[in-house]
Amino acid sequence: MRAPDPLGREGAPRVALDGGVARFSGCWTIGRVGGVERELARLEWPRDRPLILDASRVTALDTAGAWLLESTRRALARSRHEVSVAGLRPDHEALVAMIRARVADRAESVRARSKGALARVGELAARSIRQLLGILGFVGESAFAATAVLRHPRRLRWRPVLHNIESAGFRALPITGLLSFLMGVVIAYQGATQLERYGANIFVADLVGLAMLRELSPLLTAIIVAGRSGSAYAAQIGTMKVTEEIDALRTVGIAPFDLLVLPKLIALTIALPLLVVYADALAVMGGMMMAKTSLGVGYADFLDRFEHAIDLPDYLVGIGKAPVFAAIIAVVGCYQGFQVSGDAESVGRQTTVSVVQSIFLVIVADAAFSVAFSYLGI
Amino acid sequence: MDPRDDTVIDVRHVCTRFGAQVVHADVSLTVRRGEIFALAGASGCGKSTLLRELILLERPASGSICVLGHDLAGMGEEEARPLRRSWGVMFERGALFSSLTVAENVALPIREHEHLGERLVDELAAVKIALAGLPPAAGPKYPAELSGGMRKRAALARAMALDPELLFLDEPTAGLDPLSATGFDELVRSLRDNLGLTLVVITHDLDLLWRVADRVAFMADGHILGVGTMKELSTSDHPVLSQYFHGPRGRSAWDQAWKAR
Repeated sequence: MRAPDPLGREGAPRVALDGGVARFSGCWTIGRVGGVERELARLEWPRDRPLILDASRVTALDTAGAWLLESTRRALARSRHEVSVAGLRPDHEALVAMIRARVADRAESVRARSKGALARVGELAARSIRQLLGILGFVGESAFAATAVLRHPRRLRWRPVLHNIESAGFRALPITGLLSFLMGVVIAYQGATQLERYGANIFVADLVGLAMLRELSPLLTAIIVAGRSGSAYAAQIGTMKVTEEIDALRTVGIAPFDLLVLPKLIALTIALPLLVVYADALAVMGGMMMAKTSLGVGYADFLDRFEHAIDLPDYLVGIGKAPVFAAIIAVVGCYQGFQVSGDAESVGRQTTVSVVQSIFLVIVADAAFSVAFSYLGI
Repeated sequence: MDPRDDTVIDVRHVCTRFGAQVVHADVSLTVRRGEIFALAGASGCGKSTLLRELILLERPASGSICVLGHDLAGMGEEEARPLRRSWGVMFERGALFSSLTVAENVALPIREHEHLGERLVDELAAVKIALAGLPPAAGPKYPAELSGGMRKRAALARAMALDPELLFLDEPTAGLDPLSATGFDELVRSLRDNLGLTLVVITHDLDLLWRVADRVAFMADGHILGVGTMKELSTSDHPVLSQYFHGPRGRSAWDQAWKAR
């Protein structure tokens, strides 16, 4: 009955208007009705007599065809034509009757309505403000939970802390080391051409030391960690939220905050400064290697100059920023994880947002540090 | 085989193994056009695997499966495309695309396979949503915003999008409250009666089996223990069958609760 018609085009759906009678013929099935809907829309129905939709020569009908028939009838009835359907086979009759009964009078377009530009701008602004407030609230909550744990250190879960130090710190060593080394090479190389012009080759140690230790190492490491671990935090918490594991934690009396956020926050605050120390060392090595090959500054000369050029505060300033960056990354990652709602797509979206936001905030914080240090004269 | 033949699905001597675990030892069954065929059996007896083999998601180790007159063995993606178009599948957990609204979910297969005007596609999606028993307001909602029962209906609407002649339902009533489940029973039957569909239903739901299924195949340990109407099966003196159908409903209820989780 609804099997494909072996005659091919012979069974194509047709509609012919003859006086007040529209004769429907052929296969009115979803695979065939492609062209005929336009044909239907073009028909000029006479106004002066009752109309009959004659379906007696319809050889096959499915819900798509039945809907076209029924929607034509409805449209005509709405425009005050007198219209009836005749000649349906009993099984087709039952199908049309089901559609007539089940489908509400206007099966209008059911797509989500698109909004105007102004509304979208407003929504974006409102969402940004909500985000900001949300992060602030989350920072407060983190601080509150952290002080509670400080007062009762035994409540802290050490195992996840250690696990997180391993995954966010130890496992990040190769990539951080490699990139820092290359960064040192690049800085020394860029400086080399300028310094050589003034015969100030030895100052490459100042350049590499100050640039890497004060600014670039902490920033670079923070960006790597935001990409590696911040995204992982958001994805992990987000997935747990989708699968209702967060709710399950609550029901067994574990505060998700204590188990999921605090260990990450503490672990990252410990691991990131250590990573920065490591990155500093490798960056200086990279710079040294480049100084030797392109400027002819030997390792001993370089280190000798390095000692004079870099004071302890320069080094500590760089490392001192790391815990702040770590807190930003952990808080933003976890916060975005908790913002996941419902579906799989949302996990991906919040993960991306967490990376973008944490890198953004890290750089903003770095700029703020620079301003503050220059006021303080450090 | 002539596609107009009475047999829609013909499974012969199918064996399936996952590693050392034998899922199907020797399964044979036939489904006839226009009937509601149910696959019953305890959890983990291989019903869902058989379904996945029927819809080309998995292949058996040996044996042959014919669906709508096509032998599935060694079928390439290109040949499978028209076949996939002529059946609809409703997955146990709905498997609605979470980034699309219900209406977009239903419209997706139509857009993929047919060249119809935008307006008609939207209208057809609305028709399917209505036929599945959802209010029109459900169309623009995302799956995450729907209740479990509504999600099942939305999944059914998507399975019916292309007016398939064969519809596979995996646990259509699991996790529904009794009232919704009863509604679903009636919906399934009216679809068969009005659209002339052939339905293959996997279920634990004894009510669904009794009220809707024309024939039931009972699976256990990779074998079909019996095929027939519920009356025939329930009067069988096979120990497993009589335990399933006459034992306390505890087992079924337990399965239900576990599935509904």
